Amino acid sequence: MLQPLDMLTKAGAVRLAPAAQDTASDEDILSVLNYALTLEHLENAFYRDGLASFTVDAFTALGFQPSVVDYIAEIGAHELAHVETLTAVITDLGGTPVAEGIYDFTAAYADATAFLATAMALENTGVGAYTGAAQYLIDNDDLLTAALTIHGVEARHAAYLNVLNDEDPFPDAFDEPLTPAEVVEIAGPFIVDAEVVTPLAAGGVGGDATPMAEDEEDEEAEATPAA
Amino acid sequence: MRPLHERLLSDVFQEQARRLSRRRLLAQSATVAAGGALAFSFLDAPGLLGGRTVSAQTTFADDVEVLNYALTLEHLEYAFYRDGLETFSDEDFGESPFGAPISERLTSIRDHEQAHVETLTTVITDLGGEPVEEAAYDFGYTDAISFLAVAQALENTGVSAYDGAGQFLENPDLLTAAGTIVAVEARHASYLNLLNGVLPFPAAVETPLTPDEVLAIAGPFIVTDPIATPEA
Repeated sequence: MLQPLDMLTKAGAVRLAPAAQDTASDEDILSVLNYALTLEHLENAFYRDGLASFTVDAFTALGFQPSVVDYIAEIGAHELAHVETLTAVITDLGGTPVAEGIYDFTAAYADATAFLATAMALENTGVGAYTGAAQYLIDNDDLLTAALTIHGVEARHAAYLNVLNDEDPFPDAFDEPLTPAEVVEIAGPFIVDAEVVTPLAAGGVGGDATPMAEDEEDEEAEATPAA
Repeated sequence: MRPLHERLLSDVFQEQARRLSRRRLLAQSATVAAGGALAFSFLDAPGLLGGRTVSAQTTFADDVEVLNYALTLEHLEYAFYRDGLETFSDEDFGESPFGAPISERLTSIRDHEQAHVETLTTVITDLGGEPVEEAAYDFGYTDAISFLAVAQALENTGVSAYDGAGQFLENPDLLTAAGTIVAVEARHASYLNLLNGVLPFPAAVETPLTPDEVLAIAGPFIVTDPIATPEA
């Protein structure tokens, strides 16, 4: 597995300092990165704790090959790598990375079927979140590219989990971008206590524990991950 | 300076000679299809992948050039599936252990690529640009197995191409639109990896490729240049 520093190099995120001509402020950039980190923490905790609570038999009983567990573990490893990378990048930029929160996945861990359905919802939401937020990094080429390289992997996860859930891996010709408000609405029920950061450029909050409520009237994109 | 997509297409012939030959690419794709650990070995070739920031070796003059670069690849992908699905039947692809029949999934992918072609063509036209047209291609597949191997290579390359080019877009709305396409390409890539017995998500991050690197991979498939047109 890639170590954080390798990831940084690979993703081109080492030279992170916003260039002089950038128009977005450091606070704007950090809020976008912390928004991503907020979601990656949730995903990482979901897989880490979930995989610890299920045996391989729980999945083979559903008719899956044992290797499905290895694949899911690989997804979990990716989420951890994303957490570590984003944490390192935010720190390097002089920001304060959001910490992991306290989540409630009780319903998701009820059985392997619920776990896989929740994983699918989280991954498809993650893709939509990155698709919707990439625009806020448009002034920083390296960070944008780094975010896109994570975005693609989330989409790969989503497609695979759709298959496991007997859903179409690619239900439309175009993925749906989600606004931060839509993402918070979907992720909110899992959050017991966590700092939820959303992009300032989208009217979000940079460090408030209260989920933002901006854009709630924006109904152009219904928040419906294939769940 | 000519638009990038023109250079992309007319440079194909030199690239064809001195870089990856189709034969070699296919041989490596076949290795991928065989489920070997050499998955994406063509991407690991020295010089193709350095694990570094995509630099602007080839620069885009404006957003239209970036979109035409994307359209060049979408044309190639659409033609690939359109023609391949006319060539192979569901029986040729065999049983899928992953839900719907393979030909059904490939038909969806074909339709997506067609939608990407149509959308990019419209957007480029609306922006006052001239959309690049479909070229003639030779994908070199000989059976359904090698077809699926080429499909896998094309989709994974497509993701890397978009990831490498996204930074050159200046209009945030176009960037979001590109994001809605690249996510679907990544979904395609994931599924095709799965079909070919390769990990659907081989790394924690994608590998962004420069246009020159993408050209080295996709170029050998392009046999005619609709713009400059020297005969191959």
